[in-house]
Amino acid sequence: MKKWKIFKQGVLEELPLQLGVFPFGVIYGVMAIESGLTFLQALLMSSIIFGGASQIAFVQLLSNSSPFGVIVTTVGAINSRHLLYGISMVEYLNKLSLSWRVMLAYLLTDEAYAVSIRKFINNSDNSILHYHLLGSGLTLFVSWQISTLFGVLIGNDLPEFLDLQFIIPLTFIAIIVPMIKSKSTLLTVITAGISALIFKNLDINFWIILSGLFGVLAGMFTIRLDKK
Amino acid sequence: MIWSLIILCGVITFLIRFVPLSGIISSDLPLSVKQSFKYIPLAVLTPIIVSDLSIMENKNFFIIDNFKLYAALIATLAALIWNNVLATISIGMASFLIMSNF
Repeated sequence: MKKWKIFKQGVLEELPLQLGVFPFGVIYGVMAIESGLTFLQALLMSSIIFGGASQIAFVQLLSNSSPFGVIVTTVGAINSRHLLYGISMVEYLNKLSLSWRVMLAYLLTDEAYAVSIRKFINNSDNSILHYHLLGSGLTLFVSWQISTLFGVLIGNDLPEFLDLQFIIPLTFIAIIVPMIKSKSTLLTVITAGISALIFKNLDINFWIILSGLFGVLAGMFTIRLDKK
Repeated sequence: MIWSLIILCGVITFLIRFVPLSGIISSDLPLSVKQSFKYIPLAVLTPIIVSDLSIMENKNFFIIDNFKLYAALIATLAALIWNNVLATISIGMASFLIMSNF
């Protein structure tokens, strides 16, 4: 009974975030169809990868005929922050069975983490806290699948005058702007942006990865500026 | 081939999420490695934005009539003010449509 209650709490706390997630899922669905993926590929990518920004980057790179190595590395790099989520949650989940950890790892996305880590930190002695993450993660999963389906279904019916490809940079702007909270993060963005202009025009195949590397280095070298 | 690519990306994403919970790696990573994670999404998404705005085409700067660039700047402002994905996209898209049609 208590397990059900904490699961329900995870669901209810996750629900308000779906106001932001749902349109994002629809946008992914539309873009996936625009990029040439089949209905099934577009739909199932949302359960196979289950990572919003990385899926949009995937379809954008695919429509630009980027090398597959670039697509895989970019998806991995975008989702690399989830490694930190796992690290910060391991002390609460390490006593669970392997099947539980596999399931929760699969559901460990930005929004589920944001909601459940607060619960974990405030109730660290509770042995059934993982039901909260199950609730928040499943809510996000269901919402993501439904919104993707919605986007995939309307993908071919949108008016021609809308330059849908432009939704991708706009979406990424919406994602990264709130993440620029310090001088070092701002310098990361500026360096990665300038590097991209240079490397892309030099026709370097892995220009995204190389620009990203320069951006990360710029952030790390200037992290001291944040502490002043 | 696309299916293999989707599955490979899915496996990599899952492993990124699962490895810390598996107990394979120590949860005590060096501070510098942990710090670098916060920069990665910014550093990877920015080049994609810059590329999509076509600021440089065929080694020439394209700025004066680049409506996408201006609309992106307006969207950045919207993101700063409202911090909302849908509002940012709607305002950016509307600005672009207005500028390119009038």
